Amino acid sequence: MVLAGVGVVLLAILVFLAFDGPQKFFTLFAAGIALGAVYALVCLGFVVIYRATGIVNFAQVGMVVFGAFVTYNAVYTWGWNFWLSMLFSAAVLAVIGIGFERFALRRMTGKPIFSIILLTIGLYLLLQSLIGAIWTNAKDTIPNPWIGKTVSLGSVNILQVDVVTMVLGAAVLASFFALFRYTKVGLGMRATAIDQEAALAQGISVPGIVALSWAIAGAVAVIAGTMLGSGATPKVGLGLGISAVALQALPAMVIGGLDSPIGAVIGGLVIGVAYEMAVGYQTQYIPSLGTSGFADVLPYLLMVLVLLIRPSGLFGTRDVQRV
Amino acid sequence: MASTLAPPPAADATDPPNRSVLEARARREIRLFPTPSYWVGAAVLLALYLVLPLVLSDLWANVLVLAGITAIGGLGLNLLTGYAGQASLGTAAFVGIGAFTASYLGRATDVNNGLGQPFVVYLIAAILVGAAVGFLVGLPALRLRGSYLVIVTLGFLFVTTYVLTQWKTVSNGNLGAPMPVGVQIGSIDFTSFDVFGMRDTPLGRNQGLFYLVWIFVAITALLVKNIVRSRPGRALQAVRDRDVAAEIVGVSLFRYKVGAFVVSSAIGAMAGVFYGLYIQYLTPNQQSIGLTLSVQFLAVIIVGGIGTVYGTVVGAVIIGGLPTIINEFSNHIPYLTASTVSAFQGIVFALLLVVTLLLEPWGFAGAVRRFKTRKLRRTMVPGSAGSTGATTG
Amino acid sequence: MTATEHAFGSGPAGTPPLLEVSEVTLRFGGVTALSSVSFDVREGELFAIIGPNGAGKTSIFNCLNAVYRPQEGHIRLDGVDLVGKRPSTTAHMGVARTFQNLALFKNLDVIDNLMLGRHHIMRTGFLKGMLWVGWAKREEIRNRVRCDEIAETLGLTPYRRVPVGILPYGVQKRIEIGRALAMEPRLLLLDEPVAGMNLDETEDMARAICQINGELGVAMILVEHDMHLVMDIADRVLALDFGVPIALGPVDEIRDDPRVIEAYLGQASTPGPGAAS
Repeated sequence: MVLAGVGVVLLAILVFLAFDGPQKFFTLFAAGIALGAVYALVCLGFVVIYRATGIVNFAQVGMVVFGAFVTYNAVYTWGWNFWLSMLFSAAVLAVIGIGFERFALRRMTGKPIFSIILLTIGLYLLLQSLIGAIWTNAKDTIPNPWIGKTVSLGSVNILQVDVVTMVLGAAVLASFFALFRYTKVGLGMRATAIDQEAALAQGISVPGIVALSWAIAGAVAVIAGTMLGSGATPKVGLGLGISAVALQALPAMVIGGLDSPIGAVIGGLVIGVAYEMAVGYQTQYIPSLGTSGFADVLPYLLMVLVLLIRPSGLFGTRDVQRV
Repeated sequence: MASTLAPPPAADATDPPNRSVLEARARREIRLFPTPSYWVGAAVLLALYLVLPLVLSDLWANVLVLAGITAIGGLGLNLLTGYAGQASLGTAAFVGIGAFTASYLGRATDVNNGLGQPFVVYLIAAILVGAAVGFLVGLPALRLRGSYLVIVTLGFLFVTTYVLTQWKTVSNGNLGAPMPVGVQIGSIDFTSFDVFGMRDTPLGRNQGLFYLVWIFVAITALLVKNIVRSRPGRALQAVRDRDVAAEIVGVSLFRYKVGAFVVSSAIGAMAGVFYGLYIQYLTPNQQSIGLTLSVQFLAVIIVGGIGTVYGTVVGAVIIGGLPTIINEFSNHIPYLTASTVSAFQGIVFALLLVVTLLLEPWGFAGAVRRFKTRKLRRTMVPGSAGSTGATTG
Repeated sequence: MTATEHAFGSGPAGTPPLLEVSEVTLRFGGVTALSSVSFDVREGELFAIIGPNGAGKTSIFNCLNAVYRPQEGHIRLDGVDLVGKRPSTTAHMGVARTFQNLALFKNLDVIDNLMLGRHHIMRTGFLKGMLWVGWAKREEIRNRVRCDEIAETLGLTPYRRVPVGILPYGVQKRIEIGRALAMEPRLLLLDEPVAGMNLDETEDMARAICQINGELGVAMILVEHDMHLVMDIADRVLALDFGVPIALGPVDEIRDDPRVIEAYLGQASTPGPGAAS
């Protein structure tokens, strides 16, 4: 009920802004959806691993930024085709993800959640530091066909790379949900998330499902990282700024519910649009909040708001506490 | 096995000699230094404390000052995470809060509208502010656990840097603010240390800060040790192990979950005062007080040994000293150029964290404990000496 | 065997009972776990609650500990209503408990576990604990001595400094009783104290229960599947079936009650492991 109220208020704000200046609003809104697509991809990676292992996998952040650099390496150093490079990078990161699971996380079964989370933070920092050691003189953007170009819809200008991000994000998310809903593998993933032992007893290859989850997480990380590295909104380019964006997907994950793929998409889009609106309007309407930086904390503030109203997120499963 | 209730309880409850024996044992067991070797160790540490600044180069004094600061913050975090089981990525936020409280209160009145207060005032103020903010952060922590708490404390860290940046009176915005110049307690200035005029020239800033910081490491370690060996410490561990059962034996979750945050945040803010004095000029951004710093504190307690006081200090020396050691020896490491040293430091740090978690989850203290029990087993069971090593680990 | 001889109805007239549970109803969503349950426990009484699995026995304990909050009814200990209190408050009011599946603090040693039982008796907080000398130290020693005495009584002295997580099940059961005793309770809740025990261990435990009840005069509520144990040591029994009270009275009456036989005895043709006695 309260949640519906908050939703109505937020929608009303959007409608007000849309009528106030449609051109600016829709430019920002499109950028917000593109950013939301990136968040949704990163977030889906978080959720898939959370469902398979029960922890928030900070290594995902490192995989996003590392994936961007692997793509860069293929495109720029080896001169490969952009799409081929991205595919290659996705394969590399899928292997890295499976490696993380096999050689690190699997050994942590039964350890305190805190230790496992910290292990994933260690892996995140490891990937991030490796970037500094391998790519010492990287350019500030992955070379791509859409640099500096925009698409105009009426008076609304959208970056071409943002359009690509949206289309790509939609395609990937749609194929994930097709896999998740309608295939036997997807059924296995859902069963594994509910009860690993029972799934095993039903003949589902739980190790296979877990490995697949890490491969999916690696692949979506690459797509998000590559698009960010190619100059998609919020235009951080190729660099460690990518990990700052990827970290913003954490509040999106909490808002959607830690274990809900659909929540990841909704949470990502909400955070993406909210972020762009804050960038575009905050200094104009609420100048007292300062000249910069508010957009970066807004996702976390929204997260706290949702947690207060619904501790398990919009679509998450409530965990039952037992004595 | 047969008799579980051999003597009737009413009889021995009032038996005086028995009671005095028990009392003597209790007294012995709760001692801070239970055996003479602890006293020897303490004496050695005291000697090191007095002598090291006189013999160390500026570089290593600098490293040990940072290690000491990390140890203080790590002790606070260990109370929260190691003992109370609440994982937090917010330590850097409290460091920032402490440092900027000290900066605002302590810097001269003609420098960015400082208040020009002495060390003791801004130290106490920073501790109180840290405790108050810790209380507020601890409230949501009552209902959040595991992954949620980690994410929420990360959010708190981002919000803190944002608020500090916006609060220009205190932080001077993105430009940042200087810390107080001198650190005086009474007539002693720790930034140019020369107590009894025993030397021709006073010691350098780093050597003086060494004396200041490590006395606070000792005090903090003692206070934390006292907490964990008495009633509140047991209650924290009970909450960590099984919170519902803890509540049923009478432990108030509110008091101890929030209390752990308050104490740990106060200690974090204290570490922040010294951190500020150490780096002298502080900007409120992710580079100086961000996720990396928070993770460093977590690494300290993991590498040193979660849930132990001495392990935290050892971990702080390891984590604090590592970058400089790598830097010093970078010439001898192949393929390492000036531009990749910092990346290499990061890799070693991350690997240390990952490998410790995988191979020795209780860190340095865990390794020591295992070594001790193995020695004990070897003396008790002579035959099994050779076989124990290979199987454990 | 029972030292207390004030069986059903023989208590001093006019003395209010120690515990008074009246018309307690507990629901989880649409499921009614307890339906209008009423009973009382007198000072020093050994009261038992029986019933098949899922009858709501443990739910009653969770209400008495304020872990669950019943939708209707009152639970009065010495006239003070427990409903709506915090679980930690019930400890201060004198309710102690052992758990069906053990709820010890597994990383702490035996003495620390017992000391946690005395948490609500002790006073040292964060500040006094930090300073340690004087008050905190004296309090610590005083209470450690008491815990050592309890450990001695229960034969736990050899394990004093061992983390409880690595000790055998039977020892852990005793530690839990020890922790409950360390709380110096007025009302002790025992949730299946002999579950999973062999014959010898069951007899030891029965003796311990009677001793605590008889010599220390602690009132108890025993939830147990082992009917022979209940019939041997309890003063009065409440029988539950799917959260509905079906009989309440002295042991002899319950044994012959047709509803109890139908709901419980008739069905459970294989009694607990400690059945033969």
